[in-house]
Amino acid sequence: MRIGWKSIVAVVAGLPVAGFLVIQLGLIDVRASTGHWQVTDWFLHWVMRSSVTAAAGSTEAPPLDDPGLLPAAAAHFETGCAVCHGSPAAKRPPIGLAMLPPAPDLAHVVGSWSNEELFEIVKHGVRYSGMPAWPSQSRADEVWALVALLREMPSMNAAHYRNLAGAPPAGRGATIEARIAYCDSCHAADRQVGNSVVPILSGQSEAYLLASLQAYHDGDRPSGIMETAVSTVDDTDFSKLAAHYARQSAVPASVSATDPVVLRRGETLAVSGDPARKIPACAACHGTGRSNPLFPRLDGLSSRYLASQLRLFVSGERGGTSYHHIMAAAVQDLEEADIDALAAYYAHLPDRQ
Amino acid sequence: MPPTENRPRAKPHLPLFILPFCLAGCSGSQSALSPAGEEASSIYLLLIVTTCGAAVIWCLVTALLVYAGRSRRHVYSAGAGQKLILWGGAILPTSILCLLLGYALWLMPATRPWLTNNETSGFRIEATGEQYWWRFAYRDAENGISFDTANELRLPVGERIRFALRASDVIHSFWIPSLGGKMDMIPGRTNFFSLEATRPGIYRAPCAEFCGTSHALMAFTVVVMEKEPFREWMERQTNLLRPRETEGARLFARHGCAACHTIRGTQARGRIGPDLTDIGARQTIAAGTLANTAENIARFIRAPHAVKPGVKMPAFPMIPQAELTALAAYLKGLQ
Repeated sequence: MRIGWKSIVAVVAGLPVAGFLVIQLGLIDVRASTGHWQVTDWFLHWVMRSSVTAAAGSTEAPPLDDPGLLPAAAAHFETGCAVCHGSPAAKRPPIGLAMLPPAPDLAHVVGSWSNEELFEIVKHGVRYSGMPAWPSQSRADEVWALVALLREMPSMNAAHYRNLAGAPPAGRGATIEARIAYCDSCHAADRQVGNSVVPILSGQSEAYLLASLQAYHDGDRPSGIMETAVSTVDDTDFSKLAAHYARQSAVPASVSATDPVVLRRGETLAVSGDPARKIPACAACHGTGRSNPLFPRLDGLSSRYLASQLRLFVSGERGGTSYHHIMAAAVQDLEEADIDALAAYYAHLPDRQ
Repeated sequence: MPPTENRPRAKPHLPLFILPFCLAGCSGSQSALSPAGEEASSIYLLLIVTTCGAAVIWCLVTALLVYAGRSRRHVYSAGAGQKLILWGGAILPTSILCLLLGYALWLMPATRPWLTNNETSGFRIEATGEQYWWRFAYRDAENGISFDTANELRLPVGERIRFALRASDVIHSFWIPSLGGKMDMIPGRTNFFSLEATRPGIYRAPCAEFCGTSHALMAFTVVVMEKEPFREWMERQTNLLRPRETEGARLFARHGCAACHTIRGTQARGRIGPDLTDIGARQTIAAGTLANTAENIARFIRAPHAVKPGVKMPAFPMIPQAELTALAAYLKGLQ
């Protein structure tokens, strides 16, 4: 039989119509309950593996062996990830298992991914699965902390995980005591491990704490961890939390020995600035008794937290109170070595006084 | 025949009407045609000499042209023609140009180094161009004078003042049309220069080298004073004491202004932005951009970029209106 050009035209013209009808009449099944065909499942995973590997090629993981990275990551995992993936302390919840594909048991799968690939998945999520992107795309530091936690997960027992994660999120309508316990999971002085990514809040000004909570709540200060944590809190409790931490006396973070040359460089910058490089003195705003309560005190905060915040200010990704753009202008000419020196200086300041 | 006489005839005469208005721009506070200093006078004289000389030469050449076109009776011999070309076409113009070149070179500061000596001792003003403002440092080690100010230069009349010119970011150019200049301010280099004002008054000096978005909004004021008031002013600047705990000073520190700005005699010692010690007494604010009123000071603090695009100072829209008004009044009161 000869196929004439008329038949070809008829088929080509008819295909879109047929396709439209198939979709419009609802003949395509999108139920998660019925699952994928095996070939679809294989195909989607093939695409995902290749895509993640390719995207991770240009990333390089920072050192992830600092125990200071783990508590905040564990607390966030408990708040945001365990609801689908389960945790070392809880098997996967039924909701996670009913997803398509089911949320994997991470202890079993992280071994098949490199740190960079895990970073890629956690930061950007995975399309056509339930895996969401990290809530803030500018906080790579937080994503790396989570990758550090994932690396530890296969060897982590329930007690260790519970100890890292601290109190669970208190949820709507909880008592203020339960909320403080949740915040304390990361921010209490006795919960700090190593060089923590988390600031100790005690002794900070009430106005600054309140404005920062509000900034996280309003999306004005990017953080996947804190925006998620604050979303579990009734905003009427913000002022109570701020007052609670402002009332406590300041406790400095633990510090490790630092090269005195670095500390001197930090001190010079902090106290006098460097007018030739357009760097104002930090002390002009931070730490004087009569300064603005919206300017946080810096002495005794962990050097990792200080450095990460300075880097965010330099890159223009740190929001915060209504004064945050002033800080961004003040630090725009800082070099990497300046940031490390300043962070070390303020972390060591309580020791030196 | 069309009624041509009804046509407007204003067009050919328009330049004549415009000319007087143009001439009005030749006087005033920013004009090289109305000199008030030694350097500007000598440049003005050079302008007059070259313009008049050029006019005379042009008249002579035109007359010769007319003469050559008319006269046919007399024919030069070959020798006489060559002589005329040699003297009139080569030697005379070369001599005139050499004289002019010598005169113009003589006016350049580098050929008279005793006027611009770069000794580090003695009184001098260090002027630094910044995007988009001017830092002035008055220095005299022997007499214990050392203070900074910004965007307004005070000079004594009848005294040669030495300048050291620098730039902190990009090339700017220092030019006070009524007094003298200009000389470039180049990052990483110090240029020396001197000026002598001959007439007291207030002059304007724009940045004369394109330096960025707000180049056109970068100017400073020059106040030329009699010698005695100038000495008194310098003395006052050197031994300045201000009450420390005023509400204005408190607000200035509270909002972080002191991290970048100095107000001598107070706790504010920042050296990033302009010195504000006597900002209330200056002719303008924001480096020649706005009239110096409390309202304009407040307006600039609230949104500096709206006044001056590309300015380094961040905006302060978060300062409550009442505090902003008090802060502006405090700054306006710094005389």
